[in-house]
Amino acid sequence: MENKYNLTKWLAGEMTQSELNDFQKTPEYITYSKISEYSSQLETPKFDENQLYANIISSEKETGKVIKLQNNWLYKVAAVLVIGLGLTFGLKNFVSQTEVALNGQKTTFALPDNSEIVLNSGSEINYKKWNWDNNRNLELQGEAYFRVAKGKKFAVMTNLGKVTVLGTQFDVKARKNRFDVTCFEGRVKVNFKDKQIVLTHGQSVTFENEKQIDSKTDAIKPEWIENKIAFRDENLLNILNEIERQYNVSIEMKAQFNGELFTGKIPNNNLDIALQIIATTYHLEPIKISKNKIIFEAK
Amino acid sequence: MEKSNTIGICNEVVFSSFFKSNVKSIRNYLYFKFGNEEQANDMAQDAFIKLWENCAEVTPEKAKSFLYTVANNATLNQIAHQKVVLTFAKNNSNSDRTNISPEYILEEEEFKIKLEKAIQNLTEAQRTAFLLHRIEGKKYAEIAEILEISVKAVEKRIHGALVYLRSEIEQIK
Repeated sequence: MENKYNLTKWLAGEMTQSELNDFQKTPEYITYSKISEYSSQLETPKFDENQLYANIISSEKETGKVIKLQNNWLYKVAAVLVIGLGLTFGLKNFVSQTEVALNGQKTTFALPDNSEIVLNSGSEINYKKWNWDNNRNLELQGEAYFRVAKGKKFAVMTNLGKVTVLGTQFDVKARKNRFDVTCFEGRVKVNFKDKQIVLTHGQSVTFENEKQIDSKTDAIKPEWIENKIAFRDENLLNILNEIERQYNVSIEMKAQFNGELFTGKIPNNNLDIALQIIATTYHLEPIKISKNKIIFEAK
Repeated sequence: MEKSNTIGICNEVVFSSFFKSNVKSIRNYLYFKFGNEEQANDMAQDAFIKLWENCAEVTPEKAKSFLYTVANNATLNQIAHQKVVLTFAKNNSNSDRTNISPEYILEEEEFKIKLEKAIQNLTEAQRTAFLLHRIEGKKYAEIAEILEISVKAVEKRIHGALVYLRSEIEQIK
């Protein structure tokens, strides 16, 4: 304490007479004595004691135990609601979302940034809504057509390869061991194993069994969007698999067939014509066992 | 138990007299602390309501410390501090002096204004302890009980307040 006089003792009136006499001789004494005198004359703003008392006594009746229980009950309901909403929100945003198109169906949906995706039959996409704008990654199994809104890097992962774009339209197909990417607008970067290819609009690339096939297309959107299935140098088994998916049927091959590759389009809304095209090309006889079962036999 | 209930603070007469003897102190204490009149009134009221609700569990001896504990706990989430506005009592002790010159009165009024300003600038801890002593006339030991600190700490705060007030007032001169 900087002051040699015990100020608290003085303020409490506990100084001895000799201490007080000494203190009174110091120059600061006048100020201190004034502080002491005037501070004791201070008053706080007035308040209504009786009103306060009335409030207290009447409050007791309002907050009886019955009301308290009701409150608790309400809190519980509110808590359940809040937790429920929280979980829903959490699940919606943090847990990965899955969009599926079953065989014979197509699914169109929008991502949080309004990018549009059309899923072809028998395909599935997984993605996370949380922080989508900064982390546009999704996993694809099967085939999908993307119309990507402009923004940060957009990446499509498949078990065969990766496609990255900056905002464009493209189609990705990853079935079994064949990986097709077609670019309809803008630029698309394709990673397949250690290869990296950049496609511009109208270009298409296919990787099948480590073989790279480059091709071109005039289409402005995938044929399957317009109820056609387009094949480029596709082998028969892949074509039959695609028909199975598109029409949700099962096809059995009971004939020998050569390894000729097929390039062309078949409808995906008319099974009979589709089967006929394949049958004519490969000299086969399609037999409809039931609505969903077809057998190809040699002619 | 029953005996203490009948003469305890659940009895409205007992509660009422307890209220009358303590309401001003606790309300002013809260006002010194927060500088907000309305808030001080509300918090004082809440503390008494808590006491009234729990009157069966609180003995009359414990009632006062219960009251301040409730008030101290409730203060944690209160709004930011405002200036403590105090006024001087109208009929002050000037009347007991016979030969007062107008200059002297003017000087004293100036001093009062400086003092008020200086008090507003004290830290919350110093101001609360100092004003409880000066305005409420509480003893250091009582203040220690209210603030839930030691008497030594109270003295330190009041000493600090005095030193600060003087330096502030003489500086302004």
